Amino acid sequence: MKDSVPEGTRRTFFSWVIGIAAGAIGMGLAIPLAIFAISPAMKRRTALWAEVGPTGNLQTGEPEELQFASTVKDGWRTNTANKAIWAVQQPAGDIIVFSPICPHLGCGFRWEGGDHRFHCPCHGSVYDVTGKVLAGPAPRSLDVLPSKVEQGKLFVIYKEFKSGLDHPVEL
Amino acid sequence: MAGPLYRWLDDRLKLKPLEHTLLDEPIPGGASWIYVFGSATLFLFCLQATTGMFLALYYVPSPDSAYDTVQFIQHEVPLGWFVRGLHHWGASAVMVAIGLHLLQVYLYGAYKRPREPMWVVGVVLLLLMMGFGFTGYLLPWDQNAYWATQVGTNMVASVPWIGDVLVRVLRGGDTLGALTLSRFFALHTLFLPALIGCGIVAHLFILRRVGPAGPWSVEQAGRRSEAFYPRQVFMDALVMLGVFLLVALLALTVEFPLAGHADPSDHTFTPVPEWYFLFFYQLLKYISGPLEPLATWVLPGLFILVLLLWPWLDRNPERRPASRPMALVSGVAFLMVVFSLLGISLWSLHTAPKVDPSVARGKVLFSKQHCMACHRIHGEGGKVGPDLSYVADQRPDRQWHLRHFRDPRSVSPGSIMPAFPLQENDLNDLASYMLSLKSESPAGTGNR
Repeated sequence: MKDSVPEGTRRTFFSWVIGIAAGAIGMGLAIPLAIFAISPAMKRRTALWAEVGPTGNLQTGEPEELQFASTVKDGWRTNTANKAIWAVQQPAGDIIVFSPICPHLGCGFRWEGGDHRFHCPCHGSVYDVTGKVLAGPAPRSLDVLPSKVEQGKLFVIYKEFKSGLDHPVEL
Repeated sequence: MAGPLYRWLDDRLKLKPLEHTLLDEPIPGGASWIYVFGSATLFLFCLQATTGMFLALYYVPSPDSAYDTVQFIQHEVPLGWFVRGLHHWGASAVMVAIGLHLLQVYLYGAYKRPREPMWVVGVVLLLLMMGFGFTGYLLPWDQNAYWATQVGTNMVASVPWIGDVLVRVLRGGDTLGALTLSRFFALHTLFLPALIGCGIVAHLFILRRVGPAGPWSVEQAGRRSEAFYPRQVFMDALVMLGVFLLVALLALTVEFPLAGHADPSDHTFTPVPEWYFLFFYQLLKYISGPLEPLATWVLPGLFILVLLLWPWLDRNPERRPASRPMALVSGVAFLMVVFSLLGISLWSLHTAPKVDPSVARGKVLFSKQHCMACHRIHGEGGKVGPDLSYVADQRPDRQWHLRHFRDPRSVSPGSIMPAFPLQENDLNDLASYMLSLKSESPAGTGNR
């Protein structure tokens, strides 16, 4: 029985073709699969304008906590969650909206009408009506959310920010 | 095979003998294109495993989420439709590859002594592969998945004595539902892969112990021998590339849309199994009444038994097809039966009245928008609004329906129906469904 195995350039040719075929299949799979696995992870959550409600009851300089249903897409699910924001009617007529989360460590703060300040019950941070830090460990002013008023209704884009930093970084 | 990294590793791990074992296996009679089907099957199995793992990144096996996650993969994940297409067409391709592999082994008498164990393991691998097909079909949780699995599991129930227990174990309870879906998912992605992994290792281990069978003629086999590498590897690699390109092309060009969400209350739905189960589907149409168990489990059981025992049933030591008339005739007869059944089934599916996809989508929308809360169609639904069983007889105008959905009172003054400001294409589908509801055609089967 004689062994017949290609030698020399023929052998090199075969190994080249095998390598090219393996590479083509490998790339043909690896590229789409990488896009499939990675790109949804890179996509930023697109927050949408959420309707908070009519602005008629807001009084100038008096912050009011407003609740609304916000719709967030979570992968294949569309979640509706209740959110709250602080809205402050400005003398010029526009409205400033604060995130309800203390920038220090993420507690919920509240408005004390008596001394006209926001107080955070967890670690004692205090803010004035413009959101500026007056006392306590908070590293930055209250976080302002994008807002607009259309046909007497307040709309906001609800966002969350990293806590503990001296400038707001969106999550 | 001599890069610096390879030399470095070889120095430590002593790879040369392993390389020799893997690549220099002698093939009696030399390399040949007829031996590529086993490698093609193995390649397609690996393709299924890879695409399956990636699909599992987004798929959730629960009746609440399964359908939505498959839709998400199909429409929202970049290239999701392509990955799902590869998995879908890969499943069909692996069945074709197994069929050709089986045919080659049968024709060449390669199951005969000393390769009986390899044949038996191969038959077990075939059954496991069909298990993959059956369990995977349920996972999208659409109407086809639900009703085809309903039929499939009911067939198991016809096995005497243990049928009831078997079907309960398979479904995870007495009805098809959440527990069925989670166990089919576990079977499809954990149990079957573990089993088939062991089976493939055993199959390849036996191959290396007994060696490839080579040509059927002893003289030809003895004349020359050739190492597995490079020529056989070259042929295998080209075939794998060809198969990959074919599957990718099918995934790119042929759509296979989901049916509506699984609806246990919709008894009008007629499921159709995957093409590789169609011959069996057709057989069931011919055998009914008291003889039905013959088709649902006696014949399949006998067939599997015969297949497993075939190396001992065919005791003729000759491998040359010309000297094995009995084996050849029974093989050809079996293929003729299978392909005739498949052909008849495909023909009858092709000639059966087709449901317009727009009508099907409209029907799904009709249920999604809760239209039957007020409207009745063939006895099902509320009585607040008009009965729509034959609505197209009175309202054959598509424009009328479109205007009516957007603003009912504009065409039907005094109507209490709310407006349905859906997307343009959704309204069109809904209108198509309405137009299919006429007296000469039963609901939902309006001709294209």
